[in-house]
Amino acid sequence: MGIHEAGTCAAGAFENPRSFYSSYSTRMPVLGNDILQSWIERVRKLGVQNLWLTSDSRSGGVARSALGELARQGIERLLVIKLKSYAEMDLTDLLRFHCERHNPVTEAQDSRGQLGVSLLDRRALRDGNEAHESSAVACGQIPYQFRGYAKRILSARERQELVGDALTEGCAMRPAGTQIRDKVWVGEGVKLADTVRLAGPTYIGARTIVRAGATIGPFASVESDCVVDCGTTVERSTVLPHTYLAPGLLIRHGLVDGGQMEDLTWGTVADLEPAGLGSRIQRRESRRPTLRPAPRETVPNAFSGADGSVVWDFAASSAASKPWLQVRL
Amino acid sequence: MNAMNTVARTILPFPCASNSGRRRSLRKGLLAALRVSSSPVIVDVSGCCSLNQEDIDLLLDCVAQAAGRDTQVFFVAGSLANRVLLEVTRISSVAQVFNSVTEALAYPHMSAENDAKAQTANESQERWGA
Repeated sequence: MGIHEAGTCAAGAFENPRSFYSSYSTRMPVLGNDILQSWIERVRKLGVQNLWLTSDSRSGGVARSALGELARQGIERLLVIKLKSYAEMDLTDLLRFHCERHNPVTEAQDSRGQLGVSLLDRRALRDGNEAHESSAVACGQIPYQFRGYAKRILSARERQELVGDALTEGCAMRPAGTQIRDKVWVGEGVKLADTVRLAGPTYIGARTIVRAGATIGPFASVESDCVVDCGTTVERSTVLPHTYLAPGLLIRHGLVDGGQMEDLTWGTVADLEPAGLGSRIQRRESRRPTLRPAPRETVPNAFSGADGSVVWDFAASSAASKPWLQVRL
Repeated sequence: MNAMNTVARTILPFPCASNSGRRRSLRKGLLAALRVSSSPVIVDVSGCCSLNQEDIDLLLDCVAQAAGRDTQVFFVAGSLANRVLLEVTRISSVAQVFNSVTEALAYPHMSAENDAKAQTANESQERWGA
């Protein structure tokens, strides 16, 4: 296991109350962007070469044994990122703050509290304290105050706020697609019927089909590989990938994932599938074997998606009973 | 269909029977009731914990039936999940939706006939549930 010359490594953990694979809050794209990938890019800018990913769903915490194992491998510093927020954070600044304070643990937080980003020194790793966040606070250590853009992504409502901000240039994230008119972006291979109405700001992900008379927007994000049938309106809502929406519907202030919809106003989940209003579109199995090789030969368990994005194959790691997936950046 | 009440308002429970024969009969009764009613009709969906495709079709038929006769129809969703489905299908765009029968009866347009409501509701419930 290679260790960065500065002795800093990075680890990511997913915090989600639902099953990791069925989760839509953290691993699903936001306007075609992968939140994990955005964090990886920030880590890469630090010059870090080793990254471990885990889908530990117990609490999103890093297991005591895992920390101890990393300490035994001689790691001096560990950057832990729980995938519970999107934050436009300069990790170099966090590292500088951490080194200046000589804290065993430095937690990043904003005005709303912890962001799930922390730096642990060898001391903290050796202690292997699973609840390092609370212990850092308890010990009176000064947290790193982040004043830039940050948004939690664990709830559908917050996720929709991030979508709105990204569509209106309220943050640095931009829709992954081509801008075809003012505040309207579409991904590759999108099929729009002539009578479709697009009300910006709005985004339609790659390979999505929008049929006659449908209205998308404003503040709508229909992610990749969806079908929006005739006359349906999607407004101030997100439709997650591989979702079919039946004709004539009104999706407003909601998040739709296959056959389920979470209403953002009432915070309730309705089952669309038995009512014949929405369903999951089965992924085509033939797509996966035709994928290009991983962009970096040293990245295990990763492959390129059809849209060129890197897909992390946690299933392979999980099947091998490995709690961590190591990625060389 | 004899679940009708000639007083100013009728409350009709929405049929949620799993037996298809019984369901057909209840469906027929509900639509017939809507057809002959000269007063506002409250269709109470709160007995259904979930709505399937047939239920949605019937709800749309209710709206169409009422619209064709210029009858006021109101729906009682009973749950937020049902309410979401009524909104998604745009039923709530053409008919008022309430969370409970009490709320529906308190709606200003119907308040004049409130004194008859409980009796109507009870009678309807008994007949539909029979």
